[in-house]
Amino acid sequence: MRRDGAIPVRLPAGVRDWLPHELARKREIEQQMRAVFGRWAYEELQTPIIERLDVLERGLGEETTELLFHFNDRRSTALALRPEMTTPVARLVSTRMREAPLPLRLAYVAPVFRYYEQPQEGRMRELTQAGVELIGAAGIDADAETLFMAIEGLDEIGLRDAQFDINDARIVDGILEGAGLDGDAAREAKELIKIRNLVGLRKFDRPVLVEFAQRRGRHDAIESARAICRTPESRAALDELHVMLDRADSLGYKNRVSVDFALLRDLDYYTGFLFEGYVGEIGFSLCGGGRYDSLLPRFGFDVPAVGWTAGVERLLIALERRGKHARRRRHRIDVLVAGSDVVAARERSAGNVVRYAGSRLSDEALLEEARAYGIPRVVIAVNGTVRELRVGPRVGDLPVPRTPSNWDAR
Amino acid sequence: MSKPPEPQADGLTIAVPKGALFRDAAERLRAAGIDVPDDVGRKLTVRTPDGTTLLFLRPTDVPAYVEFGSADCGIVGKDVLWETDRNVAELADLGFGYCRLVVAGRRIDRYHEGAPLPTFLRVATKFTRSAESFFAERDLPVELIPLHGSVELSPLVGLADLIVDLVATGTTLREHDLVVVEEIAESTARFVVNPVRFRAKYDALTVLLDRLASVPA
Repeated sequence: MRRDGAIPVRLPAGVRDWLPHELARKREIEQQMRAVFGRWAYEELQTPIIERLDVLERGLGEETTELLFHFNDRRSTALALRPEMTTPVARLVSTRMREAPLPLRLAYVAPVFRYYEQPQEGRMRELTQAGVELIGAAGIDADAETLFMAIEGLDEIGLRDAQFDINDARIVDGILEGAGLDGDAAREAKELIKIRNLVGLRKFDRPVLVEFAQRRGRHDAIESARAICRTPESRAALDELHVMLDRADSLGYKNRVSVDFALLRDLDYYTGFLFEGYVGEIGFSLCGGGRYDSLLPRFGFDVPAVGWTAGVERLLIALERRGKHARRRRHRIDVLVAGSDVVAARERSAGNVVRYAGSRLSDEALLEEARAYGIPRVVIAVNGTVRELRVGPRVGDLPVPRTPSNWDAR
Repeated sequence: MSKPPEPQADGLTIAVPKGALFRDAAERLRAAGIDVPDDVGRKLTVRTPDGTTLLFLRPTDVPAYVEFGSADCGIVGKDVLWETDRNVAELADLGFGYCRLVVAGRRIDRYHEGAPLPTFLRVATKFTRSAESFFAERDLPVELIPLHGSVELSPLVGLADLIVDLVATGTTLREHDLVVVEEIAESTARFVVNPVRFRAKYDALTVLLDRLASVPA
C-alpha cells in the first residue's frame, strides 16, 4: 500500500481508528445493547475516563495496577485510565447516589483501557464495554436478571446460539477447603483452576481438584459436586445454581446454559454467581459478569451488587467471522443541492439529509456525484432559478472498491 | 497447494508438532484412536477418516493456533509454552519429549564450580523470555543476545559468557566442552486446549483427554 506523500505517522500499539463504515457497524451493536438495557429498565450513565489511581486500586486490588495506564498530573496526583467500568460505577454510587432508592439499575457503553504488554485481537489496549450494574439487590433473582439479560443481549445482535457457562465463586473455596488447602497453596490452586491447568493441579496430589477443574455439565455436574463440597456456603451456591438451571430451562435456554466449575473471572472482587457467554468458533469469551458483594463496601457503602459486561469489539469480531455485518452500510443522503444556502436549509428543515455540491459543476457532473453516493434527487439553484434533476437508472451503484475498504478511506 | 479441509462441526482440529516431537505425538494420538499418518511429507493438514482435522505445525506455532481457536487443541513442549506465553489450558503432561532448560558455560570458566560471574554478563539464547525471567528473579543484570540457532557456538567465540538452551542428552554440550551451570526447568510434551473450545466441544475433548492421559508415559 503506497501512500504517496504521506508522512509516516503511526498509532500507538493496541489502539485503532474507526472509519465511518466501521464505526457504523460498531454503533449499531452499541444501540442494540442499549435497547436491551432499556427494555430491562436500566438507565445509562457516564463517568470520567480518568480516575484517581487509589480509587481503582481500592476497587480492583493493587495487583491489578500492572494492567493500568497510569501517570501523574502536574501536582503529582497519581491517575489512571479506567480498565473497566464496575469500579467507577461503584465509586459514583457510594458517593453521590447513596441516598437513591435501591436497587439501582445502571448501564454504560464506554471505552476502557488496559495495558496489555502484547496487544492482540480481542485484547486491545482500548476497548468498548457495554454493560450493566444492578446495585442493592442480593439473591438469585438479581443474579438471574443479569444472566437472562446477557442472553437477550447476544440474541439481539444475532448470536442466537451463544452458550453461557455459569458458576459461583463460593464453590471453589468449598472445594479447596474440602481438599485441605489454605493460604498460599489454596491461592495457587485457585489460579491453576482459573486457567484450567490440570498438569499444575496434579502436583497437589489431590485428585478431587483435577476432577473438579474438568467438571462441566448441567444438573448432573451439580449433583456430583455435592459430594466434594464441604462448606455450607458452597452447598448453598450449588443449590442456587440448580435453581438457576431450572429457571433457564423454563425460559427455553436448556441448550444454552451449562455449569463450569473452573469458570473464575479475572477480577478478584467476585463473591458469588459468575457467568460467561461465548460462541464456539471464537476463542475468547464475548461477555461475562457476576456478583461482587464486597466491592461497594470497599467504598464505605454496604450493599450487594451484581453486573455483567460485553466487549463490543469482540461481539463485532464474532459477527464478522460469521459473515454478518460484512455489507457496507451507506450513509443515506436524500438530496444533492448546488448553489443555494436557502434551498439547502429548506430541504434540511423538511427532514432531508442534504449534501452540498459545488455551484459551478455541470449537470452531468452533479448527476455523476449523485449516482456515486446513491442520492435520488439533485436540486440546482443558480441565478435565482431552481431546477430539479432526476437521477438516472444507475441510482444506488457505488464505485467498485479497488482495495479492501478498511485499508484506506476512499 | 491443497485447500485445507473445512473443519467439521463436531470433529476436532488438532495441532500436531512437526520435528522432534512428531513421532511420539503421532504414536500417542494413534493410541487414542486418531489415525495419524506415518509420514506427512510436506502436507500441512490432513482429514482423517473419523472426521478429525490434523494441522502439522512448527512446534513454536502450536500455541498461537490453539489460542486463536484455529485448532481446538494441540500437543506442544512445555518449553514452547514458557516462551510463547499464550492463553491455552494445559490439560495433560504426556511424558515424552523430556528435556531440560539449562544455563551452561565453558568448562574452563568454572562457573559450574562457583567461579564468580563477570560484572557485565552476556547470555545468548533462543529462549529469551525464560532467560529474562530466570535472571530477573536473581536480580542479575544481563545482556541477553537472542540467537536463532547453534547457540553453543557463542561462548566458544566470545559472543557470550553463558547460554540458556535446551538439553536432551547432553551430547551437544559435551562436544563443545560446555557444562551445565544451573538447571532452570524440565520440559515434557503437553496436551493443550483452547479454553473456550474446551467448553464448546466438551464431550469430544474430554474423551480425547482421557484417552491421551490413560496411555502409560
